[in-house]
Amino acid sequence: MPTRPESAVAPDASAKTKALLADLWRRNRPVIEARLATLELAAAADPLPSQLRAEALDAAHKLSGSLGMFGFEEGTAIARQIEELLDAAEPDRALLASLGKQLRDTLLPSA
Amino acid sequence: MLSRVRSILIIDDEDDIREVAALSLEAVAGWTVFTASSGKEGILSASELQPDAIVMDVMMPGMDGPTTFKNMQQTPAIAHIPVILLTAKVQGVDQRRFADLGVAAVLFKPFDPLLLSHQIAAALGWPE
Repeated sequence: MPTRPESAVAPDASAKTKALLADLWRRNRPVIEARLATLELAAAADPLPSQLRAEALDAAHKLSGSLGMFGFEEGTAIARQIEELLDAAEPDRALLASLGKQLRDTLLPSA
Repeated sequence: MLSRVRSILIIDDEDDIREVAALSLEAVAGWTVFTASSGKEGILSASELQPDAIVMDVMMPGMDGPTTFKNMQQTPAIAHIPVILLTAKVQGVDQRRFADLGVAAVLFKPFDPLLLSHQIAAALGWPE
């Protein structure tokens, strides 16, 4: 998990919060994996069924709204791009696949 | 004079958002945090617990945030409780639409867990 710059928060509260966040990120990993898998499934589907597209859009929305909390600002930016892509009339599947891989590499570099 | 401990109700269908918001408000600000995973559950919890403020997600399955807020406004026991909406929508048109509902503030996801309590306090005019 990326480290955050120090803020005006009391050092003990800041350290405690960061430790709790790191623990929550570890526990939350299966959820992140499942959301990435949904995006990858959508990128590989040809044609892309509307139900899968809706599920992928939901996964991208949830990732864009949560990754930054854990310090993954770049992950949020990529997820937001994917969300916009899936919301377009004709999603570019090659770009979707590329962004999905980029997101996985950002979040789970050792996977 | 010491400021009293605040209580906040977080309403969000996503487990990780509820958990991060709760741990940050408890650890950073020392507030008491209650959580609910849907608008319907949130209305019941707010009526029972009477929190000082409610922080609620916009996009939730079933009853979404704006609809839940309208229902809260029609419930006398909780209509006075300030509500802050949380949204991942970045378009200005969405932000204006949410602000026009009459909520106390609109905050954006993802939030910084170390700053969330400061943002809430500032939005509600609470002294820190």
